[in-house]
Amino acid sequence: MSIRSASAALRLVRLRGAEAMSGSVGWLERVVDRLPDSPVFQFLARHVLVPFWAWRTPVAVAEGGPVMTIAPGDNVQRMMNLVMKLKDPSPIGRAKAALAIAQNVDEIYAGLNNVGTVHFARFVLVGDHLCMFSVYDGDFTNYIRDFIATIGSVFDAVVALIDGGDAVIPTEQNVEAFIDWVHARDLYQVPDLATDLLNQQRDGSATETDIRRLPRALILQLQANPNVSLGSGYRAYPGFSAAQLRHRLEVGW
Amino acid sequence: MSAMQGAFDPSELQGNILRGYRRAAVRYAVFEVVKPVAARRWLGRSASGGDAEVPAVTPERSWSVRPDYCFNVGLTFAGLRALGLGAAMLAQFPGEFAAGMVRRAVKLGDVGTSAPECWPAPFDQPARVHLVAAIYADDGAHLDAVQRLLEQGDAAQGLRLMGIRNGGNFDGDFVHFGYRDNISQPRFAEIAEHADLGEPIAPLGMALLGHSTGLEGVSWRVPQPSVLGHNGCFNAFRILAQDVAGFEGYLDQTAEQLLADPRGAVLLPPGDEGRIGAGLTRRAALREVVAAALCGRWRNGVPLALSPETPNPEPAVSLTAFDYTDDRRCPVGAHIRRSNPRGAKIVQRVASHTRRLIRRGMPYGPRFDPDRPDHVERGLLGNFIGASLGAQFEAVMYDWVNLGLQDPRITGSNDPILGVNDPATSWFDLPLRDGKPIRLAGLPRFVTTRGGAYLFLPSLPALKFLASLSPV
Ligand code: HEM
Repeated sequence: MSIRSASAALRLVRLRGAEAMSGSVGWLERVVDRLPDSPVFQFLARHVLVPFWAWRTPVAVAEGGPVMTIAPGDNVQRMMNLVMKLKDPSPIGRAKAALAIAQNVDEIYAGLNNVGTVHFARFVLVGDHLCMFSVYDGDFTNYIRDFIATIGSVFDAVVALIDGGDAVIPTEQNVEAFIDWVHARDLYQVPDLATDLLNQQRDGSATETDIRRLPRALILQLQANPNVSLGSGYRAYPGFSAAQLRHRLEVGW
Repeated sequence: MSAMQGAFDPSELQGNILRGYRRAAVRYAVFEVVKPVAARRWLGRSASGGDAEVPAVTPERSWSVRPDYCFNVGLTFAGLRALGLGAAMLAQFPGEFAAGMVRRAVKLGDVGTSAPECWPAPFDQPARVHLVAAIYADDGAHLDAVQRLLEQGDAAQGLRLMGIRNGGNFDGDFVHFGYRDNISQPRFAEIAEHADLGEPIAPLGMALLGHSTGLEGVSWRVPQPSVLGHNGCFNAFRILAQDVAGFEGYLDQTAEQLLADPRGAVLLPPGDEGRIGAGLTRRAALREVVAAALCGRWRNGVPLALSPETPNPEPAVSLTAFDYTDDRRCPVGAHIRRSNPRGAKIVQRVASHTRRLIRRGMPYGPRFDPDRPDHVERGLLGNFIGASLGAQFEAVMYDWVNLGLQDPRITGSNDPILGVNDPATSWFDLPLRDGKPIRLAGLPRFVTTRGGAYLFLPSLPALKFLASLSPV
């Protein structure tokens, strides 16, 4: 804290000097441009400015999941990042979640096998949330629908532990609602490229630490939507479907 | 689940769902609901048997005497709302139907020249596409007579005609690109004539809401009250332009390529041209071999799965009772195998046999004459019907037609006839009897979307229910 404010003060002094030399941009403008680094500003921004801004400029929570595309390579190995609030976030409640998963391991493997389009799936407890992260091929709704048809009962056991989950179980009889429910909890994937983030507000005069370089739409989105995925995930090799990999590795598909 | 339903009564359905009318011509009239009270009155009269001014909605039935015309209606989500269906009832319809076809464009491959921004009127104003009426008859005079009825009385007051599309057979069951169509359809135990066709019987819930689906234990939501949703179904109405010159040109180009490729002789041993057709040149015979591979049927309809060597097998084979148990006979990527893998092994094992589509279509535009090539628009007025657009039509279009996810050997390629193909990246594997396939490249996009809408096809009681909604 103190080091940062000291450096901010120092920068102010330097700025005044620079202004004296250039004479073109007022020192106040420069202070404003560099403001985001100052702790006072950060406090105000978080508790006053951004909430006020968000109130003035309401944005909807962006749709979760990967963006729609027709490029085949982008339609395989897609990421699902579900963040689901536990009804009971106490250690007991979280232990129940751990048990619900562990009790169904065989069914989960059977499901992966019958659905055929999933690469990896894992469950993680983060604070009060149970997260399910997976990598799948093709369309999200088909993936979820096929899973319900295969191991709906496992979903039921897990979803029963989640805030708002009772409305969508048994999943086999609430397919559409359950798919929407999952979709609503799948994290928004922030565009992969900085250029995509910034293209609405290119401002050539912005400098390295300038607030003008931060994507405004993203700030507002993050105000409305605390958990997001940064990009759509990175692959170390071109996209292949799970079945293509199994086929090539001769492990049966 | 919804309230108990009585025994299934097919006569409560609209007549174009479980079977086709097999008429020679069709006219689709696209309407906007402008005065809901009059529109509902009109709908009620139509659903209750019609009268001198209002054509009757044709119910499902076996005809002893064919009527002069058949008449059916479908409603978009915007149309249900415009008729006055309340928010709570609208909210029970599935998300993809509520979104409408235009907002599902990327998922359906409607991009580039197929994008909704390129669609001509009335499909350039999707929010005003509310009701699509289909008139079927054997001649234009009957179509005109019914259309005149739609331009008077309650119809004229309540509905604004936004546009029409005419279709008609020009060569029996043969369609543009020269294939015989209207062969295979899901068959239902509830329809007597379907019993002996040798095709697997589909559960009623594949077509209609409120019945068991093909996915074990899974049921789709039936919009309530039950009378509204029960026995209803969804239709992806598509206007698909076909580039016949491009298609025939591609066959020419590929035949040339195969004439030059030594493996062309494995595909069709020299001297065997006669089994493809009497008096065919080698080039002409190769064209037919390629055309058959792209579709999975010879142009006369004979399935490769039963007759990989010739379109004229002796003894004759069934056109419908086949499977892909002998994997190599029909290319994995062929149109009919892609869009319905039947009993073939697929990646999404649990989805086997569940993504079936009822297809009701008729060509539009004049027959293409290769000696006088023209640029008139021609294609297919297609209806792809099922109980769930998401689990059937969209699943087929997105995962199978355009991604080839169902079999790792075709993943990353698109349907050769229907897909969003780009000649720079497209490919199609022609299987050879001795192993490695011949990979065809450079397929362009042969089919372009020119309009369409997601429609709900209500049962007759549901139409009457809609007609009885209280004034808004
Ligand atoms: C202009 C576009 C199209 C053309 C030229 C075309 C052509 C054909 C032909 C010639 C057949 C064989 C006839 C038969 O089995 O009855 C067929 C069958 C079929 N088509 Fe298409 N089709 C087109 C669009 C579509 C679309 C958009 C879909 C759906 C996604 C589709 C799905 C099917 C299915 C499911 C079958 C039956 C396969 C089977 O039962 O084994 N087609 N099509």
